[in-house]
Amino acid sequence: MRRTAPLTKLAVVLLVSLWAMLLESAAALGAVAGLLLALFAASRVPAGSYKALGGLGLFALALAAMQYALGAEAEFSLVVGLRMATMTGLFILLLATTRVQDLTAALARQLRVPYEYAFMVTASLRFIPDLLTEIKAVQEAQACRGYAGGGSVTRRLKNYLTIVQPLVLRSVARSETMAMSMELRGFGTGRAGSYGTSIALGGRDYLALAALAAGTAGVVAARFYM
Amino acid sequence: MLEIDKVTFCYRQGEYAVREASLKVADGEFVAVAGRNGSGKTTLTRLVMGLLQPTAGGIMLDGRCTAGRPTAEIARQVGYVFQNPDRQIFRDTVAEEVAYGPEQLGWAAEAVRAAVAKALAAADLAKLAGAYPRSLAKGQKQRLAIASALVLAPRLLILDEPTSGQDAQEKAALMALLTELNAKGTAILLVTHDMELLARYARRAVVLAGGRVVYDGGVRALFAGGAAVDGWGLREPAAAKVARGLKTFGFATEAIMPEELNGAICRAGGKAYA
Amino acid sequence: MAAIVFDDFSYAYDGTTKALDGIRLEVAKGSFTVVAGPSGAGKTTLCLAACGAVPHYFGGSMAGAVRVAGVDTAAGSMGDIAAHVGTVLEDYESQLVTMTVAEEVAFTLENRGMKHETIARRIGEVLAQVGLAGLEDREVGALSGGQKQRLAIAAVLATRPGILVLDEPASALDPEGAEELYALLAGLNRETGMALLVVEHDLARVLAYADQMVVLAGGRVACQGRPEDVLPAMWRQPGLAAMVPPLWQIKLGLEEKLDESFAAWRNEEEAAAELGGFIAARRRGGEKSA
Repeated sequence: MRRTAPLTKLAVVLLVSLWAMLLESAAALGAVAGLLLALFAASRVPAGSYKALGGLGLFALALAAMQYALGAEAEFSLVVGLRMATMTGLFILLLATTRVQDLTAALARQLRVPYEYAFMVTASLRFIPDLLTEIKAVQEAQACRGYAGGGSVTRRLKNYLTIVQPLVLRSVARSETMAMSMELRGFGTGRAGSYGTSIALGGRDYLALAALAAGTAGVVAARFYM
Repeated sequence: MLEIDKVTFCYRQGEYAVREASLKVADGEFVAVAGRNGSGKTTLTRLVMGLLQPTAGGIMLDGRCTAGRPTAEIARQVGYVFQNPDRQIFRDTVAEEVAYGPEQLGWAAEAVRAAVAKALAAADLAKLAGAYPRSLAKGQKQRLAIASALVLAPRLLILDEPTSGQDAQEKAALMALLTELNAKGTAILLVTHDMELLARYARRAVVLAGGRVVYDGGVRALFAGGAAVDGWGLREPAAAKVARGLKTFGFATEAIMPEELNGAICRAGGKAYA
Repeated sequence: MAAIVFDDFSYAYDGTTKALDGIRLEVAKGSFTVVAGPSGAGKTTLCLAACGAVPHYFGGSMAGAVRVAGVDTAAGSMGDIAAHVGTVLEDYESQLVTMTVAEEVAFTLENRGMKHETIARRIGEVLAQVGLAGLEDREVGALSGGQKQRLAIAAVLATRPGILVLDEPASALDPEGAEELYALLAGLNRETGMALLVVEHDLARVLAYADQMVVLAGGRVACQGRPEDVLPAMWRQPGLAAMVPPLWQIKLGLEEKLDESFAAWRNEEEAAAELGGFIAARRRGGEKSA
């Protein structure tokens, strides 16, 4: 998927997610999940993504088992698990194969999303690892002044605030700085950027989009007219 | 009261962060820890707080090993002030912020009130008790972080680069506060890059390089010319460096602060320097 | 023509008191100008005004003008001003937006619509300039603090601005890192004639390089000029004396007591050489009179 334009990849994520929501048979969802795995294999994603995918699989399995234990039918439980796994897996694939700023550019320039919003979507993705580091730092700072964790549910919830509040305030300040510095580097000036080859649609993108459109039409027809 | 005994810490990737480091801090000491970024200073202090567990070696507080003890409990003996106070501030007033620790530890309301009042007074924040913590100036926020640690009445206070980003006056005020706390009996372990501060305020210097303790001794001796200060990534205080240059002119002084050097030079010229 | 001119510039963020008040200041082409002052004096606002973020990004109210390369910043957009001014903010980590080192530099150039061949060449050039050559594919998250700082500089250098504005660039670095950073900046200043406007509260770090010092206090310029004029002026003001670098505390303290006048020391070696000579002369004088 690396040589596919970010816009096409976004379309894949959205439309295939739509399929996953519409399809109701475990077999059909299994096929979609299989397609996703094939895409993973074809895009040579970094090893870390497979780890995330593995964790996701386990979680989906647990989710399905829980549904089943709560009295749902076996097929329905399987469908719920597969749906969740497929939709989340699509995002992992997107992030593993796309540069964040290409996504921003695609959202802003091709989909005409106001750049501030496009920026916010992608910036939040960029900051996930930093956020994890920050959570740890805040937790440690609070532990050093007596934060113990544990206790009753209400106490835990209340304690959670001590971590979340500094974190949110820091993130807000940080995204402010980031937005300003991006503008300072000429982002979103309305000038034609040269994201050129990396985000323009090529032949394979049109092919992929056509296949997606056909697939979506098929899924919709199957769901509502058959 | 603190004894770090041949502590080693390895990251998962197998790199050493701290290597067989030993260090003792007695009650009432004022120790500065220096070394370049990545030399293991912060890792060592995190080990003391139980935020990391040593790969080898042990850490004792008052003769008791800290292994397995939660950080919240260690915090009653050792206060820790982080470089960035924004990471811990979350309440609506300065007094509430300081009360957080004792409340967490389940102290009685009366005891909390008394401890908060005492900590605020010690950190010179009594007048700001009702202020909104986030609107404080940098130096005041750092004092708030110190009060939040002091409220648990620790006997040792560890501070990680508390003066970074502060102006000269804020620095001087903070160091005056630490000196006063120290005079009243709290041991201070100050992690710092600022050799001028180290020269002026610390009574003992510990230098880390590559995770090892490479120097542990007097502050004046550190800059007397024998130690490989530059090789450890440190920079001598201006007065010490000038003093070393003056040796080639046959003028010997152990000065490490500007007024000391000036005093020595003036005395040589038969004048008093006050 | 000066690189940056603050022409009786005043500014207030929305609903607050004046952050900057009647600033008159010129940064000459090729100058290494250092801005110092107590916390809350308006140093950061001054940086933001030089790159147009004030008033374009922050709104607020202003009077007077800031001209960059002769053009009023209020007239152009931040992107236009950025063609002349590269800015590295105090929180430089938040300024880095991409996953890898090369992408970070490319981002600035792509925004300007440059050709891909030019971009590839420039990446190589600026990474070499800041000492990050060979780290093109390294993940930004895996860099050290000092390397991130250099990358933030490389990313704004890529468009070859005539002016570089840096807000406390050494605050997260150790003494060695700070020394290397300033040596790098001084090299850029010397070799490319790029004007620098740097906020630094530890004046000892820039003593060897600065040709102009500006001290702000309460949003106003308390003193400005050549270091050899500004430092003595600071020494005489109780609120600013503590900011005088230790080396100059030695010089100014001795001059006061001994009624002497020493050269404008740039480093400890110069000081030791002059003081050594002075002490030796005094001794000879003392022996003669005795």
